[in-house]
Amino acid sequence: MEWKHRHVLDLDTWQKPELLHILEQARSMDEFLDRPIKKVPALRGKLVVNLFFEASTRTRVSFELAEKFLSADVVNWSVSGSSVGKGETLRDTAWTLEAMGADAVVIRHGAVGAADYLARKLKKSVVFNGGDGAHAHPTQALLDLYTAWKNIGSLEGKKIALIGDVLHSRVARSDIIAFSRMGSRVVLSGPATLMPKRVEALGAMYEGDPRAAVSDADIIYLLRIQRERQEQGMFPSLDEYHQFYGANSELLQHAKHNALVMHPGPINRGVEIASDVADGSQSMILGQVRSGVALRMALLYVCLGGVRQ
Amino acid sequence: MKLLLKNAILFDGKTIHSGKTDVLVQDGIVVEVGEVLHADSPDIVHDLTGLILSPGFIDLHCHLRDPGQEWREDLITGSRAGAAGGFSTLVCMPNTDPPVDNAALVRYILEKGEECEGARVLPSGCISKDRNGKTLAEMGKMALAGAVLFTDDGSPVVDSNLLRLALQYSSKLGSRIMEHPEDRSLTNGAQVNDGICSTFSGLKGWPTSAEASDIFRGASLSLDTGVPIHFTHVSAAESISAVRMAKASGCPVTCDVTPHHLCLDENMVIESGYDSVFKVNPPLRSVFDSDALWQGIIDGTVDAIATDHAPYHLDEKDLPFQESSFGIASLECACAAVISEWERRQEPCSLERLLSLFTSGPASILPRKWEELGSISPGRSADLTVINLSLMRVVDVDKWKSKARLSPWDGRELRGWPVMTVVGGKVVCSQLDESGVGE
Repeated sequence: MEWKHRHVLDLDTWQKPELLHILEQARSMDEFLDRPIKKVPALRGKLVVNLFFEASTRTRVSFELAEKFLSADVVNWSVSGSSVGKGETLRDTAWTLEAMGADAVVIRHGAVGAADYLARKLKKSVVFNGGDGAHAHPTQALLDLYTAWKNIGSLEGKKIALIGDVLHSRVARSDIIAFSRMGSRVVLSGPATLMPKRVEALGAMYEGDPRAAVSDADIIYLLRIQRERQEQGMFPSLDEYHQFYGANSELLQHAKHNALVMHPGPINRGVEIASDVADGSQSMILGQVRSGVALRMALLYVCLGGVRQ
Repeated sequence: MKLLLKNAILFDGKTIHSGKTDVLVQDGIVVEVGEVLHADSPDIVHDLTGLILSPGFIDLHCHLRDPGQEWREDLITGSRAGAAGGFSTLVCMPNTDPPVDNAALVRYILEKGEECEGARVLPSGCISKDRNGKTLAEMGKMALAGAVLFTDDGSPVVDSNLLRLALQYSSKLGSRIMEHPEDRSLTNGAQVNDGICSTFSGLKGWPTSAEASDIFRGASLSLDTGVPIHFTHVSAAESISAVRMAKASGCPVTCDVTPHHLCLDENMVIESGYDSVFKVNPPLRSVFDSDALWQGIIDGTVDAIATDHAPYHLDEKDLPFQESSFGIASLECACAAVISEWERRQEPCSLERLLSLFTSGPASILPRKWEELGSISPGRSADLTVINLSLMRVVDVDKWKSKARLSPWDGRELRGWPVMTVVGGKVVCSQLDESGVGE
């Protein structure tokens, strides 16, 4: 198919055929990860810069592995602390990247709109959003799709329950869009104070009772609960959160018996997920990590490499 | 200095006169208004055939950043930007550095404003000392020095008792209290409308209840004290209902709306890829809200349009959305933006009603001595704006007199531009030759 997305900033305008195309590419990349020599020349001679303003080992390493397996030249540029008032502005960084001749930039930033901003400033580089504030994390959603698709096949008509702090979660926003585009039924649960106002516009519905939310679900997706949210008074205590919304074996009983349990990591054991569930047979958490590399390889390949002459 | 304006379509602040009218200005005053006027050796004559001659536009709310923040704007660039936008009078906000909370700064603005050769600049003063929301500022001395409004804009008056005292204390001074309607406890960290925009963006939502609740509170205090209160940059349907209800129950409240809330909406934030030119306080709202603002214009709930022109330096505004400053700069294209939107909505109100929101409406909020600025009639100060309703032009911020270089209308083609601005009988801005009509 003719690929029409230049950057990967969010999944708002992606349709099902495009999502499927990436999933199929991810499957071929996945097979290749088992080979003794993990090197494909698709991005040889290309420069990819990983521009991470937020600390992140998991996502950055995943991207870095994907880039290196595709033979790209990789530069890791980690900036700790806020860019505002300290050192270079993102605008100046953009010009530096352009001058360096970066073919692609993977950016993770604490500010919503940072990836869009960078994409507007760069004339030649392709921008991949590794997470911008609470807005979007498209590659996470794609790897979640891939993990689910790999394990249960077509997602059309399947039910996915997302439980936790959706309001502050870029993973949730991107996942809701991704899964609903694939034809899944997306149900959200968690304290009402942690839900966005217009979830139906994103493609999901809210169910206050988590047991009803996971009823007959094919996938249960848990979101991290951050301590700051409790400190900001958005719910009374972590203990109360866990009692009502924590994924333990009792909650799982309401879902399909072989339902997948997923989490973007890192997990808070005993808060949003019980240890025995995190380590249990239905948990896809480690599978998601592997999927992450394959998926990112697929994305880089489709957006940057493609068919070589 | 004698200025003769011929063959204009005259809007006198209330009605549009049929046929063509001439206006003769001498020594800063409108001397005569009639069908065919002759003058002995006028210094300037303009044939305004096909153009509208209106009282000069009045902006009740703009930020000129002077004193203290001149990297963003100053009285000179601001006043010239106003003139270029068809405004003959600008009321500048007191949230400067230091804030305008004393008579000396009021005088500074009046004096410097006179040297600007642009729009007339009228200062407003803070309600509270140092804009700290705790104790009353010297409103008496400021009013005497020439402050035309009192406001802590940028911030609401959080303490209801202080707002009540301010209303009572200022009641005989002639200058009204203007409240920035926002309940800060509901908007802490909020950046976009609480609705579609906050849901999609992940940015914290600014609920309309934060604005409406402050309006209900202020209206009640206004009724209680019997003193008028003016709510500025009203952005939501709920808020317009609150103002409407308050007026209906006899509260002396008035309100203004901004060009950006009339013309733009929250979807543009998303569709633009979170371009910070759309970031403003209060945020761009839903289409339902902007429809309600226009309805408020139609039924008389809205008294004025005020730009809330908020210029910033590129370094403060050209940033990812979440980090950027709040504010839209619009003095030079506000008139055209509103007229274009009015046309796009198929003229929901009469042109007279629309023009009154720039003229007689805001004039009625000012102290009595300035009310005459909202109309054209012999004996009154010659503050005039000439508008070419059919002129189309693309907004180019690089050519602006304002220091601002980012605006949501940049690059857009708008229709209905001011082509001449007169302040006290003096032509401060004119493009009449450009549009083919000249001396």
